[in-house]
Amino acid sequence: FLLGGLFMNASFLFNAAPNQGWYGYANLTSRQYSPGLNVDFWNMGLQVLGVASLAAAVNFFVTILNMRAPGMTLMRMPIFVWMTLITQVLLLLAFPVIAVALILLMFDRFFGTHFFVPTGGGDPLLWQHFFWIFGHPEVYILILPAFGIISEVLPVFSRKPLFGYAAMVFSGIFIAFLGFGVWSHHMFTTGMGPIADAAFAVATMLIAIPTGVKIFNWLATLWGGSIRFTVALHYAVGLVALFTIGGLSGIMHASPPVDLQQTDSYFVVAHLHYVLIGANLFPVFAAFYFWLPKMTGRMMSERLGRWSFGVMFLGFNVAFFPMHVTGLLGMPRRIFTYPEGLGWAGVNLTTTIGSFVLAVGILVSLWNLVASLRHGERAGANPWNADGLEWEPASPPPPYGSVSIPTVVSRNPLWDVHDESHDPHGERVLDEDRLTLTTSWLDARPIAVAKMPEDTATPFYLGLALAIGFTAVLLGNLWVTVGAAIASLAITAAWLWPERSRS
Amino acid sequence: MSTVAAPPPVILGRDGDRGTTGMLLFILTEAMLFVCLFFSYFYLARDQPRWPMDPPPKLLLASIMLGVLLASSVVLSWGEKQLDAGRVRSARAALGITLLLGAGFLVMQGLEYRDHMRTLLPTSNAYGSIFYTITSFHALHLGLGLLMLLFVLVLPELHARKEPPYRPMQTASLYWHFVDGVWVVIVALLYVWPNLHR
Repeated sequence: FLLGGLFMNASFLFNAAPNQGWYGYANLTSRQYSPGLNVDFWNMGLQVLGVASLAAAVNFFVTILNMRAPGMTLMRMPIFVWMTLITQVLLLLAFPVIAVALILLMFDRFFGTHFFVPTGGGDPLLWQHFFWIFGHPEVYILILPAFGIISEVLPVFSRKPLFGYAAMVFSGIFIAFLGFGVWSHHMFTTGMGPIADAAFAVATMLIAIPTGVKIFNWLATLWGGSIRFTVALHYAVGLVALFTIGGLSGIMHASPPVDLQQTDSYFVVAHLHYVLIGANLFPVFAAFYFWLPKMTGRMMSERLGRWSFGVMFLGFNVAFFPMHVTGLLGMPRRIFTYPEGLGWAGVNLTTTIGSFVLAVGILVSLWNLVASLRHGERAGANPWNADGLEWEPASPPPPYGSVSIPTVVSRNPLWDVHDESHDPHGERVLDEDRLTLTTSWLDARPIAVAKMPEDTATPFYLGLALAIGFTAVLLGNLWVTVGAAIASLAITAAWLWPERSRS
Repeated sequence: MSTVAAPPPVILGRDGDRGTTGMLLFILTEAMLFVCLFFSYFYLARDQPRWPMDPPPKLLLASIMLGVLLASSVVLSWGEKQLDAGRVRSARAALGITLLLGAGFLVMQGLEYRDHMRTLLPTSNAYGSIFYTITSFHALHLGLGLLMLLFVLVLPELHARKEPPYRPMQTASLYWHFVDGVWVVIVALLYVWPNLHR
């Protein structure tokens, strides 16, 4: 994943940065309109990232379903883990779509096939379909873990369990399911016909139901709670507000007639910043203040944190709310310059100022982190008196996690009288080798023992070989490509080769 | 609320589920890959007055190839049964036969390409592009399946393992059955269907 990112950004060094826009619509990407390596850099970089994401998705899914603590049935799983699980399913189903699109694009560019070029029977709209069949689930890939974070943070600081746990789980699944049925609402203007437009509009409006369920459940979690206004809670509540604003404009352009007016204008840009940036950035910062003390063992300053939140919230709204206005005034998106005297200058200046304020707010938090490492208070095992099992071992936790594998009897393990790690006879200590338990999918009964792999550098070599391979494709060097492919397979085989038993 | 008494781990067997689950997920994502390719095939067909834009592909060789793959799947399942019954030699023999059948399939695919390329090239038109993309993707995946089976064949021991990989043969076989299944769909959609609708 890191190499993929480096690959993509390396394009700047060669003056070949992708210049076709992030959506990469055909025909802009064809050889004729995009000569040079720019698009290919983007293509290969995305492909490497896709491979990395898929491998991680398989890993997460298997870990979540097969390796939970005994007694942690599916419906006792922390909601963040639930949302992560759903996200992996989305990843597994959405990433192949963009992979196919990118491969077909590569064939078009390298071998002169006819997928996205209109000559010879190709169709540029095919790219748009692929792009959004991937693209819409992708936004849920971004947002569902964020929803999970909020659903962990709010209960801890309201001092009561999450309201409507089951509804939260199923609304997450419903959102993911709908995510695959709404891609064409990005394409109302491409002339799909009234029936397709209507079907996709209805499916899109349906999304308001599960997201509404989530918002009301969060409010109900706060309702009547004994609220502690920590920084993490500030960010969590910030999300609820920003996501609601973004959701309201979202319902507007779910309707095709309205969308025909708003599409490709800054109104849509405002919407996507509220739902994608606001609803992602703020939960990530909630998580930052909530879980970093667990990782570093040091508390961050609440005072600086509140300042950071205030500045960020102000900057965010100053930056992105005016985009609604510029959009309604008719400013098109995907341009970077426009003539003077269209009446957008003042509003755009506000946006620019807001974005700098937002950046300052983020920097305050980063400074807070650095400062806390030097002279933050010791966090202790459970500084927030939270309910999750991750707060049971010391902060920062030892590499092996808990000494005894905990057993779970409820959704809020650390708020119980039951002591999860109570293990007087040391029956749940697996100390003969790198072993751990695997448990059944639904009810988490322990069923087997699994050996965890030793530390090894092999995966790194595999990543290196893959990156070399994709670079060779980029430069059109067949033999290096084939060599790297063979090397990748050989390294994989060596990686899977049985380790010699140490006993 | 019930209390959970975890049994002492020593009495539990070794895990075989993670490999299977991982492989099933890999198959899921690969299946989506082929679904997208078939989607392109029909999407590109949508606006064409004539589809395929070329005479439809010949059925005979594709059917023989189908027979070869189905036979290989049967042999491999038999091999898995032999392994469960503890007859490792028979299991290895089944692996070997499957490998030969798979390699035979790839050779026939090469012959089909040589013949087909005389009239249709990937660069000829959209139909040629998608036809060769789908079939060559399948051949690549089949090749990957062959490599997996080869890896299993050269493993020093096939079952009752104390160290991972715990169930190599069953996991690799899953993938093999999947690529065989994809060929069934390809024959149905790319070979049989165009011949029916002319």
